[in-house]
Amino acid sequence: MFVAIGLFSVDRMGGMAMWWVNQHTQDTSGPKIKYLVNDVHEDVLLMGTSRCNLHYVPSIISDSLGLSVYNGGIDRSNNIYAHYLILHHVLAIHTPKVICLEVMTYDFTEEADPFNTVTFFAPYFGINEGADSIFRLAGKYWKYRVSHLYRFNAKAVSNIAGLVINKQKGEDHGYIPCPHPAHYPSSLEHSNTPEKVDRMKLEYIQKFINLCQAYKIKLVFMISPMYTAVDEHHYDVLKTIAQRNEIPFLDYHTQGLYLDHPEYFKDVEHLWDKGARLYSSIFASDLKRILER
Amino acid sequence: MLFNSIAFLLFFPIVCVLYYSIPSRQVKARNLLLLIASYYFYMNWEPAYALLLLTSTLVTYTASLGIGHFEEKQKKKACLISSIVLNLSILFMFKYYQFFSSNVDVVMQLLGMRIYFPEFNLLLPVGISFYTFQALGYSIDVYRGSTKVEHNFTRYALFVSFFPQLVAGPIERSNRLLPQFRQRHRFDYEAVMAGVRLMVWGYFMKLVLADRCGLYVDSIFNNVEKHNGGSFLVASLLFPFQIYGDFAGYSLIAIGVARVLGFQLMENFSRPYFASTIGEFWHRWHISLSTWFRDYVYIPLGGNRVGRLRNYFNLLVTFIVSGIWHGASWTFFCWGALHGMLLCVEKAFRISKTTYSGVEKLFHWAVTFVLVCFAWILFRANNLSEAVLVIKGIFTHLGTPKPETANFIAIGLALTLLLGKELAEEFKWPIRNIASESGLVRHIYLVLMIAYIILFGVLGGDQFIYFQF
Repeated sequence: MFVAIGLFSVDRMGGMAMWWVNQHTQDTSGPKIKYLVNDVHEDVLLMGTSRCNLHYVPSIISDSLGLSVYNGGIDRSNNIYAHYLILHHVLAIHTPKVICLEVMTYDFTEEADPFNTVTFFAPYFGINEGADSIFRLAGKYWKYRVSHLYRFNAKAVSNIAGLVINKQKGEDHGYIPCPHPAHYPSSLEHSNTPEKVDRMKLEYIQKFINLCQAYKIKLVFMISPMYTAVDEHHYDVLKTIAQRNEIPFLDYHTQGLYLDHPEYFKDVEHLWDKGARLYSSIFASDLKRILER
Repeated sequence: MLFNSIAFLLFFPIVCVLYYSIPSRQVKARNLLLLIASYYFYMNWEPAYALLLLTSTLVTYTASLGIGHFEEKQKKKACLISSIVLNLSILFMFKYYQFFSSNVDVVMQLLGMRIYFPEFNLLLPVGISFYTFQALGYSIDVYRGSTKVEHNFTRYALFVSFFPQLVAGPIERSNRLLPQFRQRHRFDYEAVMAGVRLMVWGYFMKLVLADRCGLYVDSIFNNVEKHNGGSFLVASLLFPFQIYGDFAGYSLIAIGVARVLGFQLMENFSRPYFASTIGEFWHRWHISLSTWFRDYVYIPLGGNRVGRLRNYFNLLVTFIVSGIWHGASWTFFCWGALHGMLLCVEKAFRISKTTYSGVEKLFHWAVTFVLVCFAWILFRANNLSEAVLVIKGIFTHLGTPKPETANFIAIGLALTLLLGKELAEEFKWPIRNIASESGLVRHIYLVLMIAYIILFGVLGGDQFIYFQF
């Protein structure tokens, strides 16, 4: 009995302590998730994974569009389930005019554990039924319901480390510049066209689109540069969905942007700050053209 | 069913309640319950595997009855050999056939010939090496007369399939475990709580220490071509703790689960990284397996009661067999052979744990630790060429390791806890007494450890490494 009561008390008190840590941490993604859930108010919201986080400089895009822009890309958020979850939180407090979703192969291909990283958002469990539906899908709902401490499991160390190590230096509306890398990608490799499509992920892409349409949000899909060569049909699954829903699709990867500039990349999937700034200008002008149509 | 799964956390309390709701004098009913629970536990992986477990049980049970029945030594021997051959044939087919046929094929091709082996796509049944060795050990003990024949089939089947130690040991001896299935086990709150504490420490070692190390180690060893020597070095220093946390953690959970039910399983690890010689390491690491090989392979080969060269040969053979027991791969062969050779060197130079003290001992500890870590590279690498790549990388391209700050902090914290506990045990620090004598401290420890695991553990339900053996 002592152990049961003790465990319940420690779980609840530990949960409160970790909530405080989560709200005060300066780690990579904690402050951004907090902002998206509580404070986001910008006209244009960029969403996606680390490729979104590292590739889009809001001030450059904002100057070009004349609209406020926030980079809501979250490192390792992995796929459409996380984006759908975040979208629910955002829509609970604000309706952006435009959402630009950086898509990638993980958004439609089969993975061993597709819900792996939705755990990052567990500290905000229980405040939005739409967002919680993803936790149900991931089989985490009752675990989070029972244990408050467990909600912080995925990012506990990172959150605590973020109290002493500030990873938000140079932050610009969600964008955190990536410093000059030690070395650039050395060789250009060919990436095979994905074959195994996850039907449920496609369903959630459609749900994401439907939700944006219900709130009359202009949705744009984009794929930023990557230092790999791909076939022109690499993203056909996503392009078909975009076409069916009349969503503009900006694909810089298939068209090979920056394949002649490995010095813009920190690794095959990510640009560093220099590449990101150059790319943001190109993206901003293309986005402006789309929005002016 | 994995120990670190929700299914087990539901299964185990149900088994406990049912077990203790049967009066302790009804030993047979309790044994039957445990046998059903054990087969249910095992069949959660793949129901068909239970047939192999049953086959192994039936073969060793029948053979041992024969050994006990016949008076003539020749007939006894025939029973034993048939038991060994049948059991090892099953093990060979499921675990080694693929490796054997592909290697014979390579050799034949080099000689300009081809042998076409039939192909079987057999999945390795979980824990087959463990229960096969436990059952074989019983047959050999009966033959040697060091244990009595067990006539009660339920009791014997439970000995082979007892769920706490069925899939990854400790590999129990018949004269230790079988008698416990004849005893009454009354509910003892203190013993149950002691078992729970062992389980919780086991979960800590697996979920916090091993699985956190595993996040880094796997990312490096599964993509060796993408990393530098610095990352290889860090991964090679973390893997010893990953495998220790994983396997010792499993053993502790197994021992704890058995203790909750009133059974005592043998200690399987005794602070192995405090060893100051390779010989001592093997007295502390996977004790149930190393003593099994000592008793059933090394000593029958002649042990150390033979000439020096023959003794070295015996050591080498025992450790190569031990290596191959872990898996059908040249990496395990080389890992076993390396340990065998290091033991031969220690024998040749008469290096033993009692030879040194003070600074000298510290030096020998450091050398032993480095050698053990080096050997683990062979064990962990996906194949020999990748092992060479890792070793070469450490010595030639030592760059900045792949950073994982948050994970390193968590690993550092877990290692500090482990080191503190093991130092206190190894050097018998008085702080141990506070923990063992105060009930309040024990309960607070339990609560805080569970909370710590919930917060910092990798709770994705990963397999234990030793399940593949």
